[in-house]
Amino acid sequence: MTATSPADIRRPILQLRGVDKLFNDFPAVDRINLDIHEGEFFTIVGPSGSGKTTMVRMLVGMDKPTNGDILLRGKRINDLPANKRPTCMVFQSLALFPHRSVGQNIEFPLKIRGVSAEERKARAMELMAQLRLPESYYRKSVMQCSGGERQRVALARALAFDPDILFFDEPLSALDYRLRKLLEKELKDIHRATGKTFVYITHSLEEAMVMSDRIGVMNKGRFVQIGTPREIYGSPQTRFVSEFMGEVNVIDVSRREDGTVVDMLTGSAYATPSVAGAFETGTLVVRPEDMRFLADGAEADNRLSGVICNEYLLGSRVQYQVRVGEARILLVEKLRDQNPEGDSDGAVTIGWNSKDSMLFPANRLQG
Amino acid sequence: MTDASRLISGETVAATTNETSQLARRLKEALTNPGLVAAIPIGLLFVFGFLGPLALVLAFSVMPASSFSLAQAPTFENYAAIFSNSYYISFGISLFLAAATVAILLLVCYPLAVALVRVFGKKGALLTLLITAPLFVADNLRLTGWMLFFVKGGVLSGTLAYFGVEMDSILYTMGATLFGLVYIYLPFMLFPMVLGVSMVPPQVREAAFDLGATRFQILKEIDIPLAMPGILMGALMCFILTAGAITEAKVMGGTAVVTIAQDIQKEFTFAQNWPRGSALSVVMILLAGGLSLALLKRIDLDTIFGRK
Amino acid sequence: MNDFSRTARYLYGSLVALLLLFMYLPMLTIALASLSRSKYFRFPIPAWSTNWYSEVFQSLSIRDFFWTSLIIAVLVALVSTVLAFFGALAFARYRWKGRKLYQKLLLLPILFPQAVLGLALLLWFTALGIETSWRSAVFAHVVWIAPITTLVIAIPVYGFDPSVEEAAYDLGATRWQVMREVTLPLLAPGILSGFVSAFLLSWANFPLSMFSTGADQTIPEWISAKVQSGYTPQVPAVGTLMMAGAGLILAAGYTAAAFQSHRRRRLVAEGH
Repeated sequence: MTATSPADIRRPILQLRGVDKLFNDFPAVDRINLDIHEGEFFTIVGPSGSGKTTMVRMLVGMDKPTNGDILLRGKRINDLPANKRPTCMVFQSLALFPHRSVGQNIEFPLKIRGVSAEERKARAMELMAQLRLPESYYRKSVMQCSGGERQRVALARALAFDPDILFFDEPLSALDYRLRKLLEKELKDIHRATGKTFVYITHSLEEAMVMSDRIGVMNKGRFVQIGTPREIYGSPQTRFVSEFMGEVNVIDVSRREDGTVVDMLTGSAYATPSVAGAFETGTLVVRPEDMRFLADGAEADNRLSGVICNEYLLGSRVQYQVRVGEARILLVEKLRDQNPEGDSDGAVTIGWNSKDSMLFPANRLQG
Repeated sequence: MTDASRLISGETVAATTNETSQLARRLKEALTNPGLVAAIPIGLLFVFGFLGPLALVLAFSVMPASSFSLAQAPTFENYAAIFSNSYYISFGISLFLAAATVAILLLVCYPLAVALVRVFGKKGALLTLLITAPLFVADNLRLTGWMLFFVKGGVLSGTLAYFGVEMDSILYTMGATLFGLVYIYLPFMLFPMVLGVSMVPPQVREAAFDLGATRFQILKEIDIPLAMPGILMGALMCFILTAGAITEAKVMGGTAVVTIAQDIQKEFTFAQNWPRGSALSVVMILLAGGLSLALLKRIDLDTIFGRK
Repeated sequence: MNDFSRTARYLYGSLVALLLLFMYLPMLTIALASLSRSKYFRFPIPAWSTNWYSEVFQSLSIRDFFWTSLIIAVLVALVSTVLAFFGALAFARYRWKGRKLYQKLLLLPILFPQAVLGLALLLWFTALGIETSWRSAVFAHVVWIAPITTLVIAIPVYGFDPSVEEAAYDLGATRWQVMREVTLPLLAPGILSGFVSAFLLSWANFPLSMFSTGADQTIPEWISAKVQSGYTPQVPAVGTLMMAGAGLILAAGYTAAAFQSHRRRRLVAEGH
C-alpha cells in the first residue's frame, strides 16, 4: 500500500466542483468537491441513503447534477450522456443482458462500435482468459452462470468497453462472504494489471480497506472524510467515521471547568487525547480491540473494574461484554488463545491508553 | 413428511405398501399432486367445452355434404369442395385483414406501451385500465358507435359540413373494416405489450446505454428482444381473433367485405350444410391451433404473467 | 436516461390522450345518439329528447333480454371464478409435472375465434341433444371466460408467498383451515377482479351468445338484430345504460381495490 497520499504525485482525471443533486429540494448529494486521480482505486463508502449511488449515477452520466460541474480531464462533461462518456459502470444488479450468451454480453460494446466479428471474438476470448472464465462459456447463457461467474462476465463486458474510468456500484454485495473476499482480491489485481482508474461504491468499510488507494466516507450527501485506508482507520475525524468502521465503544462525555473529562452516565473521569478549542460535551470512542484486560499491576491510562456478562466468538477473536457500574456496558476484544484475567465470578479490570481513544467534541460533530 | 408439507411442495408421494397395484399407485400419486387436482375442474371444461366440440367439427367435416349425422362413410369431398369453390377469396380477405391489423397495432401499441410503463409510472396502471375498459362493452355496440360516427350525416360528415367540406361516407369498405378491427383489438395488443415492456429491467437498458449504445441500438438490441414474449403474445392473439372476425365486417364492411367466418356461419345456418361448414372450420382450427402452439412453444408464460 | 425530457413527456402524453379519445369516441357517439329526438341520427343533433329512454324502460321485451343477460352473466361469473381459482393455483402456485403444457392448453380457447367456437358449440349441443337456451349459453360463455379469469387470478397468485401458507400449517392448521384463513383472504382482491371481469365479459358478449342462446336473447343480440333490421334510438339508449352500468361496476371495483391497498399501506406504515 502506498504510504503517502498520491494526491501530489498524480494528475486528477475526474473533478467535481460544487456538485449538487436535489430531489424535490432535498439534497441527495450536497455541494461536493472532489478530485479523483489518474489510475487510482478510489472507494466511496457510506450507509444506504448517504447519496453514494446518486453520486455515481451522475459521474457515469445517467443523471445530471442540479448544480456544479463535473470535469473529465479538465473538460466539463455535465451534459455528455452516458453513451458518449469514456466511462463505464458495473451495476449492483450487474445488468447482464439475459437474452444473450456470455460471449455476446462481453462483445456488446465492441458490436456497438462496429468492430468486426472476428476481432470481437478474439478480444472476448482474451478477456475471458484474463478473468479465468473457461473458453466453453463463450456460448453459455448468462442465466445459467453462477454468481461469481456473472461478476466476471460483467467485469469483462466493462473492460471490453475499454473505459478511462471504471465505476462499480456495490457489485459484490449479493455474494457470500468467501466468494466476496476472493473477488475483492481479484479486482485489486485487475486494477493493478490494467492501470485504469477504478471508482468503487460500497457500504462496507471493510471491503473498501482491502482494495482502495483512497477512501471517501459519505454521510447525508457529503464527504465526512477522505484519505488513505490507513488514515481513515488510524485517525477517523468524526464519531460517524469511527462508528461506521464497526462496533466501537461510544461514551458520551462532558468537560468540567477544570478541564477533566467525565462520563455523563457514570461520572468517572477519563484520561483523553487533548483536543484544540473549548467544548462542553462530546463523544469518546474506544475500539474494542484497543481495550485490554489488565492483570494486577498492569499499567493503563484508564482503569475500570467490571463484570463479564457475555462472551461472543468472532473467529480468531473473542468479544466480551463487560458491565462497569450499573449502566455502562463496554466491549473488549482479544485473541482467542488468551484468557481474560479475572476471577471465577467474572470480575475483571479493564483499561485503555488515552492515545488509543478518540475524542470528538459535540460542536464539531458531523453526522 | 406430513400431508400438509406435501401439498405445499407439490411433491408426489411414493406408495408405501407393496400390495397396491401399479395403477392404483399412479392414481394415488395423481390425486395427491395438488397442482393436478387443482387443474382437474378447468381441465374437464377444456375437454367437454373445447376439445369435444372441435373433435365433433373434425368428424363432421368428413361426412357427405348436407348430412346431419355421423353414421356415414367418411369422405373428403367437403375439402375438395372448399378448394374448388371461391372460398379462397374470403380466406384471403380474412388473412389480409388479420396481417394488416397486426402490423398497424404493432406500430401503434409499442410507443403507447412504452409511454404507459416508463413515462407515466404509477398513473400508467390506471391509464391501462381506462384503455382496456371498453372490452367490457359489447363489440357490436361500440362498432355501432363508429357506424353512427362515420355514416353520412353522422358525427364526422356533420362536423365537416359545418366547416363547408362535403364528404362521402367511408363506411362499407375494406378500409372501414380494417379500422373497426384495429379499434376492437387494440386492447388485446396493448395489454400483453405493456406486460412485455415492463419485463425489460431498467438497469439492463442503462448498462447498454453506458456501454455506448445509442437509443436506436438499445431499442434493437435490448428493448425489443426482451419485450418479445409480450409482443408475440399480443400479435398472436390479434392475428387469430381478427382472422376469425365476423361482427366488424358486418357492421363496418357491410356487403363489401365477406370474411371466412361469415362463410362458415352461412354454411351452418342458411345453407344447412354442416359438413362443409365443418371443413371450413377445420381449416380455421388448424390455422389458430398451429400458430398458437408454434408461438407458445417459444414463450415462457411464467415470465409474462409472473413478473413481480 | 429514464428522465424523459419535457418535450418527450408532452409528446407521449398527447399520444395517450389521443388514444383515450379514440377508445371512447364511439361510446360518446352512442350516448349522443340516444338523446336525439328523430328516429334517424343526424349530426349536429337538431332536436333533443329523452323519450327513447322511457320507451326502453317501458318495453317488456327489453326487460326480458336484460334479465336473461343478467342471469347468464351472474352464473358465468360464479362458475368461472370457482373454476379459475383452482385453475390459477395450478397455473401459478404449484410446481407440477404437466404445468407448462397445462398453461399452454389453457390459452387455446382464448386464442380462438369466438364465432367459430360458438358454431362448434352449437353443433356439439345439437349432437348431444341439448336444446339451446340461456343455460347452454352459460356453458358456452364459461368455456371462453373461465380461462381468462384464470389468468386474471394467476397474476396475484404469482406474487403470493408460499411460506405464509407453510407457516399456517406449521402452526397446526388443517388444509381446509389454511385455505379459509390464509389463502382465500390473501387472494381475495384477485378473486374479486376475476369475478368482476368474468361478469362484464359475459354481459358484453355477442359472438358466443349468438349461437348458444337458442330462443332466448341477450341484450347484445338484440342490439345486433336491431342494427341490422331496423335502427331505432332505443339501441343507443340501451347501449348507454349498459355502458353506464359497466362503468359503475368498474369504478366501484377500482375504488375498492385502491381503498384496500391504501389501508394495507397505512397498516404497514403504522406497524413500523
